Amino acid sequence: MLVVILSWEYPPRIVGLLSDYVKELSSKLAKMGVKTYTVTYHDSITGEVKEDEVIVYRVTNPVKTHISVLTWTLTLNQEIARAAANIWYRENRQVDVVDVQDWHFVPAAVTLKNALHIPFVYTVESLEDHRSYGANSPLNMAIKSVEQLGMNEAEKVIAKSVWMAQEIKRIYNVPMRKIKVVTPKDETWVEEILRIYRSVIRKRISSGS
Amino acid sequence: MAHDEVRVMMLTWEYPPRIIGGISPHVYYLSKYLAKNGAKVYVITCDFPGASQHETIEGAEVFRISSYKNPAPDFASWVYLMNMNMQKEAAAIAKDLGGVDIFHAHDWLVATASIGLKHVFRKPLIATIHSTEIGRRNGLHSDYERMIHETEAWLTYEAWRVICCSNYMRDHVKEIFQLPLDKLDMIPNGVETREYEEIDTSDFRMKFALPEEKIVLFVGRLVYEKGVHILINAIPKILEKVNAKFIIVGDGYMRENLLELVKKIGLAHKVLFTGFLDDKTLKKLQRCADVSVVPSLFEPFGIVALEAMAAKSPVVVSDTGGLSEIVEHDTGVKVYPNNPDSLAWGITRVLLDEKYANWLRENAYKKVREKYSWEKISQQTKKVYLEVLNQYSRAYWA
Repeated sequence: MLVVILSWEYPPRIVGLLSDYVKELSSKLAKMGVKTYTVTYHDSITGEVKEDEVIVYRVTNPVKTHISVLTWTLTLNQEIARAAANIWYRENRQVDVVDVQDWHFVPAAVTLKNALHIPFVYTVESLEDHRSYGANSPLNMAIKSVEQLGMNEAEKVIAKSVWMAQEIKRIYNVPMRKIKVVTPKDETWVEEILRIYRSVIRKRISSGS
Repeated sequence: MAHDEVRVMMLTWEYPPRIIGGISPHVYYLSKYLAKNGAKVYVITCDFPGASQHETIEGAEVFRISSYKNPAPDFASWVYLMNMNMQKEAAAIAKDLGGVDIFHAHDWLVATASIGLKHVFRKPLIATIHSTEIGRRNGLHSDYERMIHETEAWLTYEAWRVICCSNYMRDHVKEIFQLPLDKLDMIPNGVETREYEEIDTSDFRMKFALPEEKIVLFVGRLVYEKGVHILINAIPKILEKVNAKFIIVGDGYMRENLLELVKKIGLAHKVLFTGFLDDKTLKKLQRCADVSVVPSLFEPFGIVALEAMAAKSPVVVSDTGGLSEIVEHDTGVKVYPNNPDSLAWGITRVLLDEKYANWLRENAYKKVREKYSWEKISQQTKKVYLEVLNQYSRAYWA
């Protein structure tokens, strides 16, 4: 199996809790024999390097000046899509599943799905509604609309707690059967994630698409 | 190339009936004539109330994507979000079509979508730069403007070739984005003269002016760079010599200021602000105009001058940017930019000398037909496509 994880943070870039989570997920997947790529952002370090069996592919933002995290994200996505597409072409036009961490690289994941037919799961660390304490400025609403896009287009949504699963259902109207709860504290959590990947790939193959 | 026809996916934020500026008619005619000349053209553009999501227009297949479903804090954020949707929908369309050979983007307004498509499909990208943020704003004064400028730079970096519509723009783009000259092509904008030929203007003129008044016409957005205020400041000087009515067509953020300026100099009865006009009325007005004025301070091309020439209206333009190239000494009058006295001189000269005006009309019309026909422009564009595909066929991605 070949997995591409998209995350806006990965060590040494640590913004919040997501960085360590993605690091642990990808290195454990790799150790279980899954070919794992993590496509991520860095200000200055770019290119591909193998770290703990994971191939980390770092890109930077071609547009340096920005007015918000939204515009920053929306010009970075093309570089993320480029890196993922490079992997796809190199790996004989085959990536089994993309795992997008939070909303930032949802646009790239959706394009990869439409153009190259790679299914994706959307793993939720946090939601804009919580980050902004329910603020409804146009900026917050725009970010929420990207989250909504991810919820609609993903094959499965992974929540890290039952509470978050309920919030995803409440805010974005995602049916419970589409949401999987995997608490990263459980002993077998990476195996559970792998099971979700497998179910997504199976579904794609059996649907013949 | 495996196909006889080059398949091009054209990305544009405006396409008729959505008309905001010059890109909309440009892409409309370019697509029409490319399709006529044996290219398969797919136009991806923003949706518009009442316009179909998918239709064939003049041989080009047009897809209108959802562009207003994401709330946005400002225009640039709207553009990037629109691009997110455009990239997403265009990816699905290109996939369904079994691929395309070339992506062709028009301005930064579709930069991110076209760059993303280039990389996921690994097909060459061509960019036409119609205008630049530096030009529009006369420099870069905020992070907002710098962000747009950097996005433009990125588009020209990712493009296999960059097309500009005038030598002036080619030099400007080369300079501000530090591009090698051999990456740039100059292909002018065009105008369809035929559309002005069948126009009946009887009884139309008197809706706008008295029989003894000459019609001086301005058409354009009412924004600073178009220089309408310079025309208004020239009016008293012109009226000393000749009786005329000044018709200002278009809208923009300077509308109120301009109305105020006209009132202040006591000429409200001589100046008519029509607002935005439909295409048919506009063409009739251009046919009736005794002189068409383009007093721009910044003008990458100046399509409105070409339209006036096609309508056989004599033109007076400021000697700047693309206007300097379109208008030659035997096809119109060029005056100093940002100079009401010079502008008044030019307009008065045309209005007082009918023989001279008619000479300009005939020369200009002939020139437009020779040099600015969409037939010719589409052939030049297709040549660029074929050259790029030839180079591409020997590249790593092919």
